[in-house]
Amino acid sequence: MPLTPLSQLKRTVRDALAYLKTQPDVAEAEVFASANGNLTVRLNYTSRIPSNAVEEPKSLESYGLSVRVAFNTPEGLKTGFGSEPTDLSIEGVKRALEKARRGAVLDTEYVSLPKPTGKRPTLSRYHDPTIMRVSNNRMVRVGWQTVERALETFSTSEDLLNLAGSPQGVRDLGLILGGDVVMLQERMAIGSYHMPRVQTDESTLLMAFTTAMLEDQQAKGSGWSVSSHLSGFTGESGAEAARNAIRAIDGQRVPEGAYRVILGPQTLTEILEWILMASLQLDLFYAGASTFLGKFGQKVASDRLHIYDDASVPGLAASKSITDEGLPTERTDLIKDGVLVGLLSNYYEYQRILNDPKGRDKLGADPGEITQAIAPRNGFRTGRGGGRNFDSPPSITPTNLIVEGTEKYTHEELLRMVGDGLYIGRIWYTYPVNGIGAGDFSGTVVGDSYIIKDGRIVAPVRPNTLRMNENIHNVLNNILGIGAHRNGTVRWASDQVTWAPEVVVDDFHLNEIGGYMTEVF
Amino acid sequence: MTQRVDVELLDRIRPRINSLVTENARRLPGLRYCDVRIQVREEKGAVAENGNEKASAEDYAFDFGVRVIAGDRASAPGYYGRILGSADVDRVHEVIMEGIRQAHQRARTNARMKSQARRRFGALGESLADARLAPVRIAQDTVPATYRTDPRTVALEDSVKMAVDACKAAQGVSSQVAYAAASSSTFMLRELFCSSEGADIDQSFAQTEGFVIAICTSEHGTLEIYDFTGHQRGWEILTEGYDNGSIVLPDFVTFCKNLAADGVEVANSPPLRPPDKPVVVVTDPHFNTLLVHEVVGHPSELDRALKYETSYAGRSWFFRDMADNQMGRQIASPLVNAFSDPTIEGFGSFKYDHDGTPARRAYHIREGDFEEFLNNRQTAAVLGVEANGSFRATESSLIPLIRMTNTIFAPGDRDPQEIISEVEDGYYVSGHRVPSVSEARENFRITAVKVYEIKNGQLGQLYRDGGITSDSRDYFMSIDAVGNDFRMYPIPNCGKGQPMQAKRMSNGGPTMRGIARLTGPGG
Repeated sequence: MPLTPLSQLKRTVRDALAYLKTQPDVAEAEVFASANGNLTVRLNYTSRIPSNAVEEPKSLESYGLSVRVAFNTPEGLKTGFGSEPTDLSIEGVKRALEKARRGAVLDTEYVSLPKPTGKRPTLSRYHDPTIMRVSNNRMVRVGWQTVERALETFSTSEDLLNLAGSPQGVRDLGLILGGDVVMLQERMAIGSYHMPRVQTDESTLLMAFTTAMLEDQQAKGSGWSVSSHLSGFTGESGAEAARNAIRAIDGQRVPEGAYRVILGPQTLTEILEWILMASLQLDLFYAGASTFLGKFGQKVASDRLHIYDDASVPGLAASKSITDEGLPTERTDLIKDGVLVGLLSNYYEYQRILNDPKGRDKLGADPGEITQAIAPRNGFRTGRGGGRNFDSPPSITPTNLIVEGTEKYTHEELLRMVGDGLYIGRIWYTYPVNGIGAGDFSGTVVGDSYIIKDGRIVAPVRPNTLRMNENIHNVLNNILGIGAHRNGTVRWASDQVTWAPEVVVDDFHLNEIGGYMTEVF
Repeated sequence: MTQRVDVELLDRIRPRINSLVTENARRLPGLRYCDVRIQVREEKGAVAENGNEKASAEDYAFDFGVRVIAGDRASAPGYYGRILGSADVDRVHEVIMEGIRQAHQRARTNARMKSQARRRFGALGESLADARLAPVRIAQDTVPATYRTDPRTVALEDSVKMAVDACKAAQGVSSQVAYAAASSSTFMLRELFCSSEGADIDQSFAQTEGFVIAICTSEHGTLEIYDFTGHQRGWEILTEGYDNGSIVLPDFVTFCKNLAADGVEVANSPPLRPPDKPVVVVTDPHFNTLLVHEVVGHPSELDRALKYETSYAGRSWFFRDMADNQMGRQIASPLVNAFSDPTIEGFGSFKYDHDGTPARRAYHIREGDFEEFLNNRQTAAVLGVEANGSFRATESSLIPLIRMTNTIFAPGDRDPQEIISEVEDGYYVSGHRVPSVSEARENFRITAVKVYEIKNGQLGQLYRDGGITSDSRDYFMSIDAVGNDFRMYPIPNCGKGQPMQAKRMSNGGPTMRGIARLTGPGG
């Protein structure tokens, strides 16, 4: 069904603010209205097992409004949040307000709703109108395009034909194509007592992530793409995954040990998003759970490493004009020359740490002296696989996470830097096994990985035969080189995009696993 | 005029939804099957941080999802999901009918493109099969919720007070608890399932939950510890706790106090330095709760086995293909039995799944042999087996997935103290923390809250940051003792699907003894 027009969301916010002004107990208020569509096409093709190939062409649609309100009460200032789906009228505003009033609590750490920063948004009209009005036919077709590109690659591969002897034989290798194509449609409007001019934003995101396998060969490959626009979408991630699966035939086991490795873009993304990023958010410092407690301004990584978040870059897939708190998006440097120089924040956490008597100890610097480094540039209302959801209060969410090095090496230069070692192209289930604060993590190497000898890739690594057992501090400090080329990389259940290069890391610990699987199948 | 949304709303709209699906939808061209799921949830909850109230809310959720299988030369599925509100009450039938049309369009397009691909790709197109559902008994039923204190009657202030008191209880344990947060929630959920085959199932659930996290400091560094309590019951779960012999839950304030005390004790313990060889490990019921979840339950999901989750949640080492799989083969010691059973009391109990299939027990491992996968009607049809009712969605607007229910290691007959006392040199692994499992679940690393040394049958030094790792089959084959102390725990957040769905279920088991490598800090 068509997404609610931006003009209607804008009108709702304007009318709601006018209504709230008539409420004597409302000290300050913010109104957020949004409409979201999550169009997902899940894929599952199997050559030896009956399948639909395009398994789930589906959508999840929502629209509505919410209010964040500070109420004057006899007990003091109370804050509440209320939302109402599918009713953008004043009746809906009244219901949301009543919920906020009923749930309001005496939060002693509350300071105020977001106030203007004096800066202006720099992006405008950057979304894709085609994604905003994509038809059912087109949605299903992007799924089939991806499947067909993979099947074309498999069916025209001379390597596979030589291996299997015939087209029937190719089928019997156990071909798999899985993954999805996701299109996000996002419209929002926001206004508040502090920022009464109603601001609006429209964003779109297209993410494709596919995995192909020749299961008999235990050969697996991945392909992915991200964009804010549908034009030029050809399903290439399906072909890329199939090519990488073919390339991974004859994978070998490698002995456990400490290796010099190249972490490919997906591997780096997974480690950053699952292990590192929580520790670069201000709320984790408040709770005392960050692995970088007290280390603001200190060296935490190789001086080759820069990491920053920036939703304001024109043309990058996860860019947005304003946050879901109505503040302009901007770049936040997180690690620069290996030094911890910034943290992601929303307005609540920013205000809270400024007034926290233990703020200096937690951060390692006086919060009042580093306000630009912890400014609230990442208050977004994600949920339901992405989106700008009216029924969620703002949390802290990365957008375009960008990794770069001081020197910019080519792929070949990175291989030479490794000499003898491994290329780790895809990992899985990478969790902080002893908690975020400890920095320890484990996960397994599941594909797109290779043995490097004399600075050249010589053979694939067999998937699911190596487990990483590492610590994030070791990884960050053992970086030897960072590639010049960055890939937009996505991970499961997230609408954040990491623009990740290949990175050489020394002394990376891997253990052999799954030895018995050679007897099982 | 907008109307209030409450669980009684489904009484008013149920007959018309049924006729939409059984009459109107069936007139759509090429439609072979349609189902509609609608839910209303009335909920309230609160959050406290460091002993202070942070947020509270009393609200409803109302949404629906549609599945259509349609097509002419070939058949294929299409879906649609949407969040509803009070403004939709008067027009809900029109909104749902429009959802059916959208899903139908997607299914028809999907079927047409499948048919084209089938012709185009020769041998590789042969596996593109019609979407079919295994036959099940078509049910019309109403299933009431079980509770003593109706979640709808709980005052929001009581929820706030519960969160604050519990949070204070955790923080009051020691000055070493640097941070604590707690949340309480309770809700009444009512789900309606209507299908074009005539299913008309109305199920209600009362559910009450609490969560607590504590950050504890010590000379060995910070330690974060968290846990969850809850049951398919009313508010009494948090105020009084619950005990039916296998589900033993203290009241929420005591639960939080115990967790923080454990956190401080563990934080003060030295980090485990694991020996460089496999050791005898005795694992407790709480640890085995996560073990059975990750290493038995997940690979027993047939969608994974049939490769649906190759890109994300992973495959199953129990199944390569129709001819080459572990069905009927030994994968564990004959002492090991594991099953899923939504008909027993737990956090994953129900009478019908979201396919409308009557629930029943499914044995995964019986006396060491792999027996049956969890399935839905579609995957059961692919495998040619009976549907066992394991298809569930987190919200009605989302597509159901094959899910664990109450998935457990069955109890044995050994006294747990005796199991420990027989160990000359080994470790007692207690309480689960964080898992990392390989893609087809053939290997695992799971960290524990506590690891004790066992010397001459006695528990000795307690260590922090420990856990175990092993290849799955090797570990299960090594099990040589299974206790009679069965316990079941709620798991609130099992992630699967895209978009990710976090589903509630129960897992559990008794004390067990096997051989594994220990893991420690430092990666």
